[in-house]
Amino acid sequence: MKSLQLFRIAELSQLLKNKSLPLSWGLLFALQASAQEKAFDEAEYRLSPLFGGPMNTIAGMTEWARDINHVYGVTTIVAVLVFLAVSIPLIITLYKFRVKEEDLTNLRPPKQIHGNALLEITWTIIPFILLLFIAVPTWQVIFKQPDEPPPGAMVVKVIGHQWWWEFQYPELGITTANELHLPAETPVFFVISSADVIHSFWIPQFGGKVDALPGTNVDNHLYYVTPALRNSDAVGGEVYQGQCVELCGLSHALMRFEAIVHKQDEFDRWAKTFNTAPVVASEPEKRGEMLFAQCQVCHTISGTASEDLEKQMLSMSPPVAKQGPNLTDFGNRRTLGAGTRKNTEENFIRWVKDPQSIKPGATMTPFDTLSDDELRSIAAYLRFSTAKKF
Amino acid sequence: MAKNLPRTGIISWLTTVDHKRIGIMYAVTALIFLLFGGTEAMLMRTQLIIPNNNFLSAGTFNGLVTLHGTTMIFLFVMPLSAAFFNYLTPLMIGAADVAFPRLNALSYWIFLFGGLLLNFSFVTGLLPDGGWFNYANLTGKQYSPSHAIDFWLLGVQVVGLASLIAAVNFFVTILNMRCKGMTLLKMPIFVWTTLVTQVLLILSLPVITVALFMMTFDRTFGTGFFDPGAGGQVIMWQHLFWIFGHPEVYILILPAMGMVSEILPTFSRKPLFGYSVMVYSSCAIGFLGFAVWAHHMFTTGLGPWAQALFSAATMLIAVPTGVKIFNWISTLWGGQLRFTTAMLFAVSFIAMFTMGGLSGIMHSSPPIDYQHQDSYFVVAHFHYVLYGGAVMALFGGIFYWFPKVTGYYLSETLGKIQFWLYMFGFNMTFFPMHFMGLEGMPRRIFTYASDQGWNFWNVLSSLGAYTTAIGGIVFFVNIFWSLKSGKKASHDCWDGRTLEWTLSSPPPEYNFAIDPEVRSLDDWWHQKYDGEGNKRTARVQPDVDPSTKHVPNPSFWPMVLAFGILVLASAPFFDAQGIPLALAGVVIMLVATYGWSFEEA
Repeated sequence: MKSLQLFRIAELSQLLKNKSLPLSWGLLFALQASAQEKAFDEAEYRLSPLFGGPMNTIAGMTEWARDINHVYGVTTIVAVLVFLAVSIPLIITLYKFRVKEEDLTNLRPPKQIHGNALLEITWTIIPFILLLFIAVPTWQVIFKQPDEPPPGAMVVKVIGHQWWWEFQYPELGITTANELHLPAETPVFFVISSADVIHSFWIPQFGGKVDALPGTNVDNHLYYVTPALRNSDAVGGEVYQGQCVELCGLSHALMRFEAIVHKQDEFDRWAKTFNTAPVVASEPEKRGEMLFAQCQVCHTISGTASEDLEKQMLSMSPPVAKQGPNLTDFGNRRTLGAGTRKNTEENFIRWVKDPQSIKPGATMTPFDTLSDDELRSIAAYLRFSTAKKF
Repeated sequence: MAKNLPRTGIISWLTTVDHKRIGIMYAVTALIFLLFGGTEAMLMRTQLIIPNNNFLSAGTFNGLVTLHGTTMIFLFVMPLSAAFFNYLTPLMIGAADVAFPRLNALSYWIFLFGGLLLNFSFVTGLLPDGGWFNYANLTGKQYSPSHAIDFWLLGVQVVGLASLIAAVNFFVTILNMRCKGMTLLKMPIFVWTTLVTQVLLILSLPVITVALFMMTFDRTFGTGFFDPGAGGQVIMWQHLFWIFGHPEVYILILPAMGMVSEILPTFSRKPLFGYSVMVYSSCAIGFLGFAVWAHHMFTTGLGPWAQALFSAATMLIAVPTGVKIFNWISTLWGGQLRFTTAMLFAVSFIAMFTMGGLSGIMHSSPPIDYQHQDSYFVVAHFHYVLYGGAVMALFGGIFYWFPKVTGYYLSETLGKIQFWLYMFGFNMTFFPMHFMGLEGMPRRIFTYASDQGWNFWNVLSSLGAYTTAIGGIVFFVNIFWSLKSGKKASHDCWDGRTLEWTLSSPPPEYNFAIDPEVRSLDDWWHQKYDGEGNKRTARVQPDVDPSTKHVPNPSFWPMVLAFGILVLASAPFFDAQGIPLALAGVVIMLVATYGWSFEEA
């Protein structure tokens, strides 16, 4: 166990100088700044906003999320009113009827009142009425989710794995991982399941979570229309964040993903180019392509021998699925390790050499016998050859 | 043999069947487990104080998450409540002991051994890491191959057995051993909530017992109840767990409500407002508690109709709960309020529990739950209910009855310091968790990235947790200081209303020298004051020669029998080699049962 360095005066004063923070907050921010050194990721230290972070539930971007927030809003108002209705009388009572210990002996006890039927009836009926304000919108929203994909909806299969996400687009013949690409303003019907243990699929800004269950006939569904682009000229799409929210083992905390919303034509180009073979240009990429042969037992890249191997494995009886995520568009992905690291060469090499140092318990074999040159070659192949323009 | 066992010293504690001593043993054990659970919480809050921290490993953190929840529920709040049931129920109903004194001792020893079995995981380094709900199939042999999960399964199984035995005991005691004149609606309210709690335990514990057996069989013998690969259903575990798990929430909170309902009248010098309505609402809460389990499963794909019905049933619980809250406030209204530490804790219970109840109503609505489920908002919610609610009330109970149990008041000064540290620290820890949840921070994550907007709230929360820890230290100091040099307490040290205050502090082993007889609710109060509030002479219970009173004989057998159960429960850890151990456990149990049966009670 490494000790926490809670009080690092030099850093604190530096921070105060650079960011001219109010002194009173200095200590708290110094605590957070000290995290930087030990950072798992390169996420730049910045003073995160207190509200409106990437996983916030309040900025509902879909109608589904706004429906939920409507119920939440109504309920919050009722809750605050009830809290006031309890706390104000409570505080008044405590203030009004307090007695000093030493005066007590001279006081006769107050009148022994045992109850009041009218009052009891009143505060039995009022909650019933208040609850209706919550119940009616609740029930309206529950029944909004369809059981079957509505006509025109794009179907996306979401499959949870320890600890990464697989996304399949049956109509487009696409299988990808950890990056969910969606066209803007399009109805999407998610079919959610798990390959191993229970996970839970959640993109907070798009609405509530749905559990991914293992087993047959236990698929869950989720339907909504994807949000419009905030900036209609956005190139490369707009990024939302998601995460697994059901304890699913050792690295549950590191099972993140990103949902990227594209303009329709950009999404179409992405879908069209997705399954094209990688473009192997440079010498290191060629070496990397050769070295990838040992990766293809677990990973597939469309348009390469690894895809044929996958087909063979799936045609066996019983079919054998590959254990690792599909890497067809790896070069275009922003992160690796299911959203835990930025997709940089340094991180890639660390991941291949020692995946467990980034994600405890990850099932990938550490390739720690590869030379630095070999590692850089594989990195070049995966990071550049598979980065197809769309 | 039993008659000749000593009545003082260490042996007397190991063999005691006196409900008061067993109550004290429950309380001491529960408070020691509180130190475990509290330390686990502090370690977790230290890990989460900054993003990307590596103070704890992922495995240790998941283990602490599991053990903190399990310890606080099964080894702290439940046994501390059991301590109060044990100590107070016979005194409040004017009985000499519980109905089955040796069974009572058996409950304690089984509980202790179960708790030790669970925590033995620390010695082996195999911390159970499936969360306090231990969801299948993560906890199956395939995904949790070590014996870590077995510590949880068997530990909880053994502890549950203790609660089940105790529940039958108190149920029978309350129904059969009330003193003359004490009809059901003249029982102190704490006895009522105890009774309802026992009914909940008797009906819900068998469900978890069966579920635990099923999962133990899955893991030990390869049955496939919860294994989808073998045609089992993972969701079945969740149903079974929560059919127990939701009544469990009321098992934790009802005794606390009972204590608050005793403390508020005493320090307001007024009877509990709407006593009979409080009784009915306790029963209603207990009844509805069995019809709401699936609200823990709104995101598992129950379908809209099930969600609509379970959400409606859940909302209904708000009605009897709301009635209770307003009755407590009405109890205070018009009273003469004395702000002792016990009273402060009881009043804070009303406020904190209301907060937790209101966020609970939010989660009764499935759409809101879709967003809040498994986020920190839920962590905030149930800590407001179980910590701000149950635990605050239990501390109130400790301050209120400590002088009765030990003969010494707890220091009021230290008590008030502890109270304010708790109030401040508690709210600082858990109120920010609402915001963390709204900002999408999932539960049970050992780390988080620094760009999520969760940093500030986590710092606040951890600092709050340390504040409470200081409050906890003050509490333990208070106990030791007060036992050594506290103010001595008389029979009726708070000007109480119920029968235990007619006894000396601490009460004699035989409890009542003269069999009490009651004519009304709060009979002791009415003996002390006439209708106009004028004081009149009331007689406390005299002390008599103990040899003239029959008390049950001490016995070693409950401990031996409990030990046999522990040996049996240890067998699965040794796989096939465990069979002789299992047989040894059964033999010990049979010998103990035989000895027990032929021993003079």
